[in-house]
Amino acid sequence: MINVQNLTKSFTTHVKEPGLKGSLKSLIKRDKKTKFALNGVNLQIKQGEIVGLIGANGAGKTTLIKILAGIVHPTSGEATVLGYKPWQRDNRYRKQMSLIMGQKAQVWWDLPALDSFILLKEIYQIDNFTYKKNLEFLSDTLMIKDQLKIQVRRLSLGERMKVELMAALLHNPRVIFLDEPTIGLDISAQKAVREFMKNYQVEFKPITILTSHYMADIQELCPRIVIIKEGQFVYDGSLSKVQRMLGDNKVLSVTTEKEIFQLEVPRTELSIKTKEIFENHNVLDLNIQDPSIENIIESIMRNGLGPP
Amino acid sequence: MNWWRHVMAMEIRKILAYRSDFWIIFLGQTAVQLVIATALWKSIFETQGTIQMNGFTLPMMTLYYLIVPIGMRMLTGENIGFISREIYDGSFNRYLIYPLSVFQYKAVTYLTYSLFYGVQLILLFSIYQFTMIDVTPTLMTFVHLFEGVALFLISATTYVLMAMLIELLALWADNIWTLVVMLRFFTSFFGGGFIPLAFFPLWAREILVFTPFPYLVSLPVRTVMGQSSSIEITLGIVVLLCWSFFFMGCVTLMWNKGQKNYSGVGI
Repeated sequence: MINVQNLTKSFTTHVKEPGLKGSLKSLIKRDKKTKFALNGVNLQIKQGEIVGLIGANGAGKTTLIKILAGIVHPTSGEATVLGYKPWQRDNRYRKQMSLIMGQKAQVWWDLPALDSFILLKEIYQIDNFTYKKNLEFLSDTLMIKDQLKIQVRRLSLGERMKVELMAALLHNPRVIFLDEPTIGLDISAQKAVREFMKNYQVEFKPITILTSHYMADIQELCPRIVIIKEGQFVYDGSLSKVQRMLGDNKVLSVTTEKEIFQLEVPRTELSIKTKEIFENHNVLDLNIQDPSIENIIESIMRNGLGPP
Repeated sequence: MNWWRHVMAMEIRKILAYRSDFWIIFLGQTAVQLVIATALWKSIFETQGTIQMNGFTLPMMTLYYLIVPIGMRMLTGENIGFISREIYDGSFNRYLIYPLSVFQYKAVTYLTYSLFYGVQLILLFSIYQFTMIDVTPTLMTFVHLFEGVALFLISATTYVLMAMLIELLALWADNIWTLVVMLRFFTSFFGGGFIPLAFFPLWAREILVFTPFPYLVSLPVRTVMGQSSSIEITLGIVVLLCWSFFFMGCVTLMWNKGQKNYSGVGI
């Protein structure tokens, strides 16, 4: 399991004034700015659970994943994954963990994927039987068998992501960190990756942390979400609970002769508001919907909820 | 440890992945450097009106400049920034999540390039042996060639540790490209890569003995040419190993200290 206690990570960066004067000044003296990417966060995840980590850019999602994957040292606090401190980089831990980064290729760019897989087989000391079985299973499920002998850089973005997934899962990891795995993919490729991860999770039950800006990924895969804002968790609980908590509102989409607008109104005031709209506007079309999950999450990120 | 073999095989496949690039590196670079050096020294010999300078005849000098560029490539292995560039763009993350030592991995990839250039040296030397007429008074034999290649591999190990020391500075400073270029320049210059050390003043040679540079370039080149004694070779290996242990200690210290600064940018 994953156990995170009061984890903090700060980064110190240089700040440079714009323009030539700022550049010259920075040669002599540099101003520094410290930013907390994570500020005392706590998290527990059980084996087999999949958690969606949601937050705006720079909120601290990737920093958390980098710490749990052992890439980055925390400034303070404690974290254990499967009983190991990730940043100590114990090989016994690294053999059970995988990190998939949507924006960063891990397989070797200039070679066919199969060449990378052979090396990964040795690095992770996967026995022949398991390797063949996993290769067969993953390439079949991801429908990528024909592309494995082609240079990775010549594959499409979607094919590359499938290859990345294969490379990351060959050694049957018990912990998977998925950092924006569907970024930049077209709708059908996104769907294929989601579908694959969903089935994989059911079959192999790893601990999975997923970050994504696509709500469809989160809705499809994560029963539990953690919303992170400026390095702190503002919500940790089930996705359905969030929807229920803010589900008392309805969204009215109105098209009149002069304009198109949307209103979010409490369910109890729905009939009054609708009547008002019909009285005051020449309505051509009116649509009543539940708020989208994007809007709900955005509202939590903006206004917060407090701890669940 | 079986992964070593596979990493080497992988690197060789990478080298062979681009055909034109392969032939340019394999033949083109050496040919250009050899032509320039030969033309330059030919004109120097003619201007001086001599057939021997500091123990070198023109054919010997030609041979020297055939070996030096390949030897330098054996030393400097992979491209500049084999660690610092990856720290800069975040691709270093890959090695931190694999269950192996990042430095062992890097050293193996580096030495694969050295080995590849070693094969190039053996091939070109064979061609040279069958085509050039007078290389006296060198005592070149294939035994010396293999001794020299082995010595170059040891010196490449020392050099990769020196380079790692500089490359790891990227954990504190974003861009250390200039420092790596300076290391290459100093290694080549003080190692006798630009001009044979025999042309250096005596006092300079006496000082350089206390640095790793003459053992990195000049000694293996002279060994290939059959001009190093067994004692010189043994002493050279001992000195290179001592420097290697020293640099290894420094690399370990730097990594232990600097890895806390690593932010894994780019993901």
